[in-house]
Amino acid sequence: MTLAAALDPGPGTDPRVALDFVLPAELEAHEPPEARGTARDGVALMVSRGLTGQISHHAFAGLPALLLPGDLLVVNNSATLPAAVPLPTGLAVHFSTPLPDGDWLVELRATAGPATAAHRGGSAGQRLQLPAGAALTLRGRFSGRLWRARLSTAVLPYLLRHGEPIRYSYVRRPWPIGSYQTAFGTRPGSAEMPSASRPFTPQVITALVARGITVAPLTLHTGVSSLEDDEDPYPEPYDVPPATARLVNLTRRHGGRVIAVGTTVVRALETAARAAASPRVAASAGWAGHVVTRESPLLAVDGLITGLHEPRSSHLRMLAAFVGLDLLSRCYGAALDHGYLWHEFGDLHLLLP
Amino acid sequence: MTNTKNAVITGASRGLGLALARGLAYEGWSVVVDARDGGALRSAAAGLPPATTVALPGDITDPAHRASLVRAADDLGGPDLLINNAGTLGASPLPALADYPIGQLRAAFEVNVLAPLELTQLVLPALRRRGGAVLSVTSDAAIEAHTGWGGYGAAKAALEQASNVLAAEENLVRVWWVDPGDLRTRMHQQAYPGQDISDRPSAETVVPAFLKLIRERLPSGRYRAAELMPPVAVS
Repeated sequence: MTLAAALDPGPGTDPRVALDFVLPAELEAHEPPEARGTARDGVALMVSRGLTGQISHHAFAGLPALLLPGDLLVVNNSATLPAAVPLPTGLAVHFSTPLPDGDWLVELRATAGPATAAHRGGSAGQRLQLPAGAALTLRGRFSGRLWRARLSTAVLPYLLRHGEPIRYSYVRRPWPIGSYQTAFGTRPGSAEMPSASRPFTPQVITALVARGITVAPLTLHTGVSSLEDDEDPYPEPYDVPPATARLVNLTRRHGGRVIAVGTTVVRALETAARAAASPRVAASAGWAGHVVTRESPLLAVDGLITGLHEPRSSHLRMLAAFVGLDLLSRCYGAALDHGYLWHEFGDLHLLLP
Repeated sequence: MTNTKNAVITGASRGLGLALARGLAYEGWSVVVDARDGGALRSAAAGLPPATTVALPGDITDPAHRASLVRAADDLGGPDLLINNAGTLGASPLPALADYPIGQLRAAFEVNVLAPLELTQLVLPALRRRGGAVLSVTSDAAIEAHTGWGGYGAAKAALEQASNVLAAEENLVRVWWVDPGDLRTRMHQQAYPGQDISDRPSAETVVPAFLKLIRERLPSGRYRAAELMPPVAVS
């Protein structure tokens, strides 16, 4: 396939779609890099610079040299839950996001061969028997594929005992939950791994610190990613602690750059920047509902480390806010050209001003 | 958009509860305070900013009173913090467990364990929505074997374990249980009737520790006020 055929930004099409292209199956990461004989930090890192339009290619372990002393990396310390509960009936329940009243957003999936596929069934009021005597009541539809549901017991402890990691069909076999945890993950709550943090090893983090680059945590518990094409993300629980808010504001005031590790961090910081009247990040917690697009200015974040995103996904609209649509199209062309790997076990992309 | 936060503090007519209400009010919080003794509560509330203080006399073991506390917090915009401070020593002077009047122990569990849990249940949805916190005041009697403190200690141990499990179940809410240390309060005097306890520090001295916990939203868990105290400045 030629690049031109694969890459079709399609001007004049749906404005909710930033970028459309065909992702060849061989560019999907089917297993963790460790299983491919590479270290966690051995994945590739593409760097794009918005000011110059330059694109360059690196190993992820070279990240410290690509950043400057005084930069601040903000990481997500949400740990991955084993959020999938398979039922003997050929269904699986994916627990996505808690709601304030104690309900959870869940997705029903049909067991399909070695993985799961979207499932359109279910009815309001339906009661599903889950392993170990738990029961899940579907209260009503929340969106096309998400249900508002109530489990008969506390969800977090239940998942930690009886759940397994959510896995989609491009990952061909199950991997233990440790494969889905990042070095920063200390607060269980994400339905899927905040995967931009995955390549950070103790060696890389130490090298960052030694260079004078600061690392600060926040929490955003991310829900299931199996959104329909061009579906907006729904609000997710977030928590920007005071110490991190102070560091973000201090860094920007002194000319350093705030680099988000993962789109979850962008969402949390941009939501927190809108929680205060003044143009700075306020320590805050709640539900991150702000959707970052080219039409909404970035108030708190200068750069982003993220994976490679699927065609038409809302994440690409966020990326366009960092480097513009033209450079983003060229980046994805280069990634397809260079054989970058997509999804949670794949390669990384650093977007700098 | 307002930055005011709202706290519900039980047992705030004197001692640690009142000191915490003053400390939070000074930092700009609105407070809903209660106490069984309406007169004492009225004079305590007189020292708090009238525009941001709601004082409701009542007993936390009374469901209607608990509901009115939550309603008052909702009227302010919703609770961000619940401080379970109200508690009872139980029988005084402190009897050995061998002689503990079980009726008084049952009443102590109602006040020290069940009522705080029921109040927590009422505010949890709002706390989840607002990234809020539950802070329960405990004691080293919950984990040490102080003779005479078996009844009170058992109830505080139950409160601590309820907090511990709540923290594991609720990852959207901070759950803290804090041992303030021995303080010069009426409850402490009841434990040692007729003794001079004036060597104990006043409740005001530990307020900065609680404010640090709340302001910095430290992780859920058990804290001792002493370990949270800011270091004394050396100039």
